[in-house]
Amino acid sequence: MTAKSTIKADPYAWPYNGVLRPDNTALMIIDMQTDFCGVGGYVDKMGYDLSMTQAPIAPIKRLLATMRDKGYHIIHTREGHRSDLSDLPANKRWRSRQIGAGIGDQGPCGKILVRGEKGWNIIPELAPMDGEPIIDKPGKGSFYATDLEMILRTRGIDNIILTGITTDVCVSTTMREANDRGFECLILSDCCGATDRGNHNAALKMVIMQGGVFGAVSDSETLLRHLPCLSSNTR
Amino acid sequence: MATISTAQPFPFIFDPTTTVLIVIDMQRDFIEPDGFGASLGNDVSLLQAIIPTVANLIQICRTYGVPVVHTRECHRPDLSDLPPSKRNRGNPSLRIGDIGPMGRILVAGEPGADIVPELYPADGELVIDKPGKGAFYATDLSGHLESLGTRTLIFAGVTTEVCVQTTMREANDRGYDCLLIEDATESYFPAFKAATLNFVRAQGALLGWTASCTEFGAALND
Repeated sequence: MTAKSTIKADPYAWPYNGVLRPDNTALMIIDMQTDFCGVGGYVDKMGYDLSMTQAPIAPIKRLLATMRDKGYHIIHTREGHRSDLSDLPANKRWRSRQIGAGIGDQGPCGKILVRGEKGWNIIPELAPMDGEPIIDKPGKGSFYATDLEMILRTRGIDNIILTGITTDVCVSTTMREANDRGFECLILSDCCGATDRGNHNAALKMVIMQGGVFGAVSDSETLLRHLPCLSSNTR
Repeated sequence: MATISTAQPFPFIFDPTTTVLIVIDMQRDFIEPDGFGASLGNDVSLLQAIIPTVANLIQICRTYGVPVVHTRECHRPDLSDLPPSKRNRGNPSLRIGDIGPMGRILVAGEPGADIVPELYPADGELVIDKPGKGAFYATDLSGHLESLGTRTLIFAGVTTEVCVQTTMREANDRGYDCLLIEDATESYFPAFKAATLNFVRAQGALLGWTASCTEFGAALND
């Protein structure tokens, strides 16, 4: 018999079935790229206050170290496009130019949101380690036009812990995609950030409506207090 | 509109401006005499024989402005997209990811996983790396085809009954009209190729149409 373990979360103790182990659970770190939280990147170029998207860096770093130690799956994502922009919808490009940060155009950190450019890299504080899959995605969601679902199914992952930026755009889209596919999702409020405080709060609130319409919300401190490791859970 | 009146099972009518050619898995490991396919005991001369026809088909499409998409079956170097069932099935002596005659077998970036030089993609042509047999699953092919306004897909490549047929079935379910170029596809097993052509044409083009490269070129030239 495997012991049940859950994390205190809103609106229910997560995961719903109490089956929480390193082998069936992944930490997803979404788009912690210079373009979204670094000086000279895409978000900076649009004129937003970087402190909001930088706020989750320290909590994610602490969480990442512990979850690596305990043997959990770690998955990173990067939003970016092929260098020939063949996977960049025309309307996405047009809108980015309207706000003065054209995707594919030259910025202080190379071509904005283009794979292989300096600004597209994951920030050094949260650099992936060997063996941790990196998902390159052309959209906001991490499932569309990627092999993420295949990797999750191949590894037998049922539970996804979502972190990264930005809360209301890429994290929320990915959580909705994952939820529709039957994955059990938890989002950590202090490990996410948005370009607007109101949007961050609203995105979290939407999760908990209707008994947890997209999953549950917790924070990294609560998670770390209760997170089982391999040995304590296989008895 | 263009018409191949001699296509099977009945005439194939298509708009060249919304048509895309998909060349499946013409990779060195499947086709060259010192590749993975040959090392498993397969007769690769059958596959090598279609290279000139596939090259001709690609040239026809480039001439008439029909976009060309190339696919490669291969996996991430860490094999995180390789189902254990695929790696271990049949307990083979050489597994995907092992060192083979031309680098790690079916791993992205290795020489054996690349496309044969005679059919190498031109600059700007889309290359899809796929972890499965079908080119739609776990790839970004759908989005590319949608952005091109694609309605019709022309198929070539190897092997007829595995990756070509799987991708055609995926495409057919997604609403594309599919034409398989009979002399631009091949199998290690001629009987499987023949059976696949029959599957495609059966029950009133249940999966699509078939025609020769010459017939396709002539329709574009009309």
